Amino acid sequence: MAAREILLYPHPALKAICAPVVSVDGAARAVAADLVDTLEASPGVGLAAPQIGELVRVIVVDAGRNPRHTGQGRLVLFNPRIVAHEGEQFFREGCLSLPDYTANIRRARWVRVCALDLAGEPVQIEAEGFEAVVFQHEIDHLDGVLFLDRVVNRKTDLFRRRPRNTDDNSSCSPDTPPRPPGIDGAP
Amino acid sequence: MSEFVLLTAVGRDRPGIVAAVSEVLCRAGCNLEDASMTLLRGEFAVLLIAKRPPELTTDALASQLQALADRTGLQITVKELSPQESEPLPRVGRPYAIHVYGKDRTGIVHQISSLLAARGVNITDVNTRVLTGSGTPVYVMLLEIDLPPTVEESELRTALEAAARSLGVDFSLQAVDEEAL
Repeated sequence: MAAREILLYPHPALKAICAPVVSVDGAARAVAADLVDTLEASPGVGLAAPQIGELVRVIVVDAGRNPRHTGQGRLVLFNPRIVAHEGEQFFREGCLSLPDYTANIRRARWVRVCALDLAGEPVQIEAEGFEAVVFQHEIDHLDGVLFLDRVVNRKTDLFRRRPRNTDDNSSCSPDTPPRPPGIDGAP
Repeated sequence: MSEFVLLTAVGRDRPGIVAAVSEVLCRAGCNLEDASMTLLRGEFAVLLIAKRPPELTTDALASQLQALADRTGLQITVKELSPQESEPLPRVGRPYAIHVYGKDRTGIVHQISSLLAARGVNITDVNTRVLTGSGTPVYVMLLEIDLPPTVEESELRTALEAAARSLGVDFSLQAVDEEAL
């Protein structure tokens, strides 16, 4: 278990679609442990496995590591999926894998995430505000989606009317297929 | 000698402006770096920084762009940047967004920007629009500023409140949260 190097774009791992974790076994937990160690050694609030070169669906989120924000503590999740979301918020995001650039991103204000925890048990987590942003950012990484894919043009975004979308795919049923990336369809 | 030039081009909007400008730069061996290009009503404006190959002088590039201007009617300027000028400015404070909106009248931009200038607050981005959809023309101004540590948010807010009152407009001032995730 060790902190690893955080890969930087254009490393191809950052554009890969990651494979689901079939079972939360020793190998999956080893990836998670390295992810946690890497996060602890970084200034970040979340990491996704592809950022350390592991193409599996594992994330760690710990929004409260940022002194300006709060969160539910450190959450290590396997196969996380956003199954419901509400509202929207703008947030200026950057990414540890793409340093020195931030951009305004539109995200859902509230999300419900289904996943497996470190014991392999299904969990359901709800997050809002900054922590919801972190979840959306990290889960995007599992599909090779970077915040650059979601940059909004502030000018046109504020001046153009947009239809509001709703998402009724809100159950944690294991049969539910993974949602396509994007809280409002295509970025 | 710096390798960087700042180029502006403005003209009646139509398909092909970006392609025409970038074609000249590309053929000249220039690398297009930071750019901001936008449409204001029917006019398209290009503002960009390009890196020039060492063998190409600014004058030679300017004359190639002048040929493009003659051909297309675009108004083009080229300015050589010193090595210092081609570096991004360090941010001195925290980013804030100021949104001002209300019934359109003369002097909104001037009053708001003047009170910022008087405090040494740097404006980093401006977008304004006159909205006519509701019958009464409504002016919207979106500013981004770099609030230096020498200026208190509360003092700036008080000054904006006074200005907004005298202009009869509404405003908001908020810190822009910015985090690397």
